[in-house]
This record gives sequence, structure tokens and C-alpha cells, in this order.
Amino acid sequence: MSWRILRALSTATAIFLLTQPALAHDQAGVPGGLLSGLLHPVTGVDHLIAMVAVGIWGAQLGPPAIWVLPITFPIVMAIGGVLGVLRIPLPMPEMVIAMSALVLGLAVASRLRLPFSAAAAIVGVFAVFHGHAHGAELPGSANPLAYGVGFVTATGLLHLCGIGIGSLTRWPAGERVIQALGAGIAGLGCYFLAQGLGAIA
Amino acid sequence: MTSKFGHLWILAAALFVQTSAAEAHIVAARLGDFYAGALHPLTDLRDIVLWTATGVLAGALGAPKGRWLIPVFPLGLLVGLSLGRIFGAASTQLADATMMLALGMLLAAAARIPTFLLCAIAFAIAVMRGAANGADLGPDTDRLLFAAGLACAGYGAITLTMALTTAFKRTKSDSSASWRTIAVRALGGWIASIGLMMAGLALAS
Repeated sequence: MSWRILRALSTATAIFLLTQPALAHDQAGVPGGLLSGLLHPVTGVDHLIAMVAVGIWGAQLGPPAIWVLPITFPIVMAIGGVLGVLRIPLPMPEMVIAMSALVLGLAVASRLRLPFSAAAAIVGVFAVFHGHAHGAELPGSANPLAYGVGFVTATGLLHLCGIGIGSLTRWPAGERVIQALGAGIAGLGCYFLAQGLGAIA
Repeated sequence: MTSKFGHLWILAAALFVQTSAAEAHIVAARLGDFYAGALHPLTDLRDIVLWTATGVLAGALGAPKGRWLIPVFPLGLLVGLSLGRIFGAASTQLADATMMLALGMLLAAAARIPTFLLCAIAFAIAVMRGAANGADLGPDTDRLLFAAGLACAGYGAITLTMALTTAFKRTKSDSSASWRTIAVRALGGWIASIGLMMAGLALAS
């Protein structure tokens, strides 16, 4: 059973990595807004890995984190989104987003078990910064409401994907796969952080 | 076998030759304004999000409370449509966003609100959206047919969304930790976050 899930997950990952962007038409209106909103969290690798890591960590922590997370994360992220819409600057947003991937990746890799309130506070701070980056794009999008619907849906689905991956913790081999994934996410976070600091081009 | 295929080919060819042009443009037909009223809400994402959220909230609260919306929501749409001329093209962006936020928060918190409050919220949303749908009606539009179409769409949308949510949530153990309850609450979180950002945008612009 576990091998079947692993095989399905690896196939899905391979398909996802092999996809190419479809550069067909520059869409306007609702389809354009929806598409840009859906793609925004997915095309930014730093956003993508952090959102998946949030889901995995939630699954590792178990209840109540696993169900509080998908309910509250979008709302906290929207607070950051409002700050972005209102053009209220946050300190070093790109650095904190890169750091979120590093911290969450390390939490997953080391199976860090914090009290729920502490884990929620960490994830909440990062959610505000991720939301800020998405919200800043909102006023200029083809259709702001469609953009909002798109990016909230994409973020929620990324969490769901993370929770799905996190369910592999039921099996010893799956736990090791998740820890390796966490280490990979942390490594990518390191790369983005170094890039943000100007250490690498 | 070959003869069977031959007959099928002849039948298909005969049907193909017999076809005539489809008179698909219902707007030009006699009851066009009815269809225009029924389809108009589908052209605005605000209608789709708010109507869906209202139906989901009613379904989440259960059939005994939610069924009141079956007459209340279409009635509110009709009241709003009649007020459309008075309000004109006044922007409802902030009010829509606030309603999305309120509905989303109620869903996310799994709040057990009383029936009269549910009806009041649904009626307010219906009036607002009815007025918005009626604001850009042309002088040639048959308002009665448009209103009938809009009310039917409201009735159908609310009833279906509520029924689907009620059926989805119906589990043997309706505990707060059941994944179906969490999925509905997560949807509420999504709706609330969209409303919050739209409210921010309305305040910024």
C-alpha cells in the first residue's frame, strides 16, 4: 500500500516538474485574474515550498494543528495581503519569505515538536509575509477578485498537498522521505536567503 | 456485421444531411430577458462567491434553519432589483467584501447562528446583489421577465448549494473533527480571506 502511494507521489512530482508554462494568450478580465492568481503561489518556488512545508509540518504535529492550519492560515495570510494592497511596507519581505522555507524545512526535517501556540505563532508571522507579497500584486491584476480567489485556492491546495505528503509519516520509510524532503526545502531556503543577501547571483 | 455498419453509416449520413442551423441566440427570442436575468449573476464573480457562501452557510447550519432561505433569498433579489433604479450604479464593493468576510468567518468558526440572523444576512446580500444586477438594465429590457429569471436563478443556486452542503456534511459522527466539517470550515477560511483582501482593496481605492 505504502509503495503504491510512494509510486503515485513520485509520478505526480515528476509530471509536475516536467510541465512547461503554456504561453498561449494574455488573458484579461476574470480568466486572466484567476489564472494569474492561481499561478502566483505556484510559480514562485520560495512560496511553493514554504506552503507545502506548512502542510507537512501540520501533518507531523497532528491534531489540532492539522485542521486548524487550513482554516486559519488563509485568513492570517489575507491580513498580510491587505497590508500589501494598502502598500504598507514590511521589513525585508523577500528575506523573511526565504527564511520561512529554511525554518519550516528544518522543522520538518528535524520533526520539531513545538507547543501548538508556538508553532501557530511561527507559521502566522510567515503567513503575513507571504500574503503581503501576493497582496501587493492584487491591485494591478486583470481582475482583483478573481486574482484573490485564484491565489487563495492555490495556497489552500498547496497546503492540502503538504498534508497529503505529511500523511506518509504513518510508515517508517515515509517518515524518512519526509525528513529528506524537509532537508531539501531547507536547502532551497538557504539558497534563496543567500541570493537575497547577495552572496550568490 | 458489415451490413449493420452500412446501415449505421447511412443513418448517420441522413441525420447529418437533415440538420438545420441551431437557433441558439436566446436573447433574441421572445423570452430572452428571462434567460438574461437567470444568467446575469453568472457573469459577476461577486454574485458567484456570495451566493455560494450563503448557500454553504445555510447548508452547514442544517436543513431546519437553512430551508427558510428558499423563499427569503429570491424575495430579497426581487426587492433589490426593484431598488436598482434608485441606487443606480453605486459601488457595492466594500459591502460585498464585508459580507464575504462575515460569511467566511461564520463558516470558519462553525458558528451556530439563530435562524432570524441567517435570514437577515441572506436577505441583505440578496437585496444588495439584486440591486447590482438591476443597475445596468437597458430601457428595452422586460423587467418582469428579467426579475423572474433572476429569482429562479437565486432559488436554484441557494437550494442546490444548501442541499449539496447538507449532503456533504451528513456523516454518522458529526463531530467537529470530522474531515467533512473541517473541509467546510476551511472553505469558510478561504472565503473570509478573499473578503478581507477585497475590503482592503475597496478601502485603498
